[in-house]
Amino acid sequence: MPESLIAIGDALPYLLRGSLVTLIVVVGAMGLGLVLGVPLAVGQVYGHPALRRVIAVYVWFFRGIPLLVLLFLFYFGLCTALDINLSAFAVAIIVLGLISSAYQSQIFRGAILSLPEGQFKAARALGMSDLKAISVIILPQALRLSVPGWSNEYSILLKDSAVTYALGVAEIMARAHFVATRTYQQLPLYFTAGVIFLVLTWVGTKGLRLLEEKVRIPGYSTHGL
Amino acid sequence: MSKRYGKKDVLKGASLEVNKGDLKILIGPSGAGKSTLLQCINFLVKPDEGRIWLDEQEVHYAHKRNLYAYRQKVGMIFQDFNLFDHLNALENVRIGMVKVKGMAKAEAGERAVMELERVGLGDHMQKYPAQLSGGQKQRVSIARALAMDPRVMLLDEPTSALDPELIGEVHAVIRDLGNNGMTMIMATHQIGFASSLASEIIFMEDGRILERGTPDKIFNHAENARTREFCSKITEIYGER
Repeated sequence: MPESLIAIGDALPYLLRGSLVTLIVVVGAMGLGLVLGVPLAVGQVYGHPALRRVIAVYVWFFRGIPLLVLLFLFYFGLCTALDINLSAFAVAIIVLGLISSAYQSQIFRGAILSLPEGQFKAARALGMSDLKAISVIILPQALRLSVPGWSNEYSILLKDSAVTYALGVAEIMARAHFVATRTYQQLPLYFTAGVIFLVLTWVGTKGLRLLEEKVRIPGYSTHGL
Repeated sequence: MSKRYGKKDVLKGASLEVNKGDLKILIGPSGAGKSTLLQCINFLVKPDEGRIWLDEQEVHYAHKRNLYAYRQKVGMIFQDFNLFDHLNALENVRIGMVKVKGMAKAEAGERAVMELERVGLGDHMQKYPAQLSGGQKQRVSIARALAMDPRVMLLDEPTSALDPELIGEVHAVIRDLGNNGMTMIMATHQIGFASSLASEIIFMEDGRILERGTPDKIFNHAENARTREFCSKITEIYGER
């Protein structure tokens, strides 16, 4: 028993440094997903039918292929074939970001579609161009409505980041595995890794809940009764 | 103007001529095309056939710039208010001036305050649409439209979604606008109000204008049997006021 505690204690600083790597991967992927997801959503709702079809294919591709397959495809497949010299860390963020953009685009699309048609009509009636109406009236509301769904995306990305261990990214799981195989303390170490993930999930979701409250439109409540 | 949705002809060649300071009121049953006609006038709905002239100049709405410039001159009030939910009353009134006319925020803000005070909402400027009553929301939307200095105001059943008690406050604002010479085209069921204010009543049914004339003519000596029938029914329900 005390052996496992010592093992955990010794490994903890090392694991916690790994959680920094994990967080950077997650934040980077969420950011990339957001930056790409918004234009994708706008294109799917308001765009030309041809554009909508292209976006639908993109979404299908990144939602339809398992993360592990995509990671290997990009890192060992594309990077080698095209002779691109990117670190596993960079590829992890890019691939997770592209996948996230596909999922986030659907969150935003749902939020945009949930807005009453009258919002756009009133914006047009004032003389706003479609682009102006979308950026000033539609998106500010749709993005606020998307925060709960985004919280979902955060916890999924956090868990998916563990898969990047397969590329050799030095995140939590990779480090836990490294120590576990050397000290034979598998149970305590993987358990600790799990706990770290739980804590990160809890902190992140709490933070997003605060964000939800902060951007709430006055007059609307964020809970039911 | 003519408009077809699929197989259904919603508007069949309805024509209007409006002079400065006129208050033309569209009445008629649901589905008559009143709302469609109003929305065709500012091209929120693209008419299949029809042309529009403002101040003797034809509006070439195919060009986006012309369309946006034209829409700034035509204010619209909707039945369900359509206030921007993420902005408070002041910001709602201000946003058109800032984002469309390119005015400075401070200057636009002063004008917005003035317009809100004019409709009697000086104390509610920081409130958000979800915190306002229906009558207050509609008054904000009128302030928002007026802040753009429109030449014409289109009102699409402005009080149809309001509690009877709240209709009066909106009617007062509209009456004021009329007295100050605003040119307006309004669709409404409130014929008591309509008759006291209108320069012309236009009765529509089934996408066509069946009859038009002064309030006295339409309500008391209508030529068309359908007009007489409709007016007697609506007087029964909404009463004379």
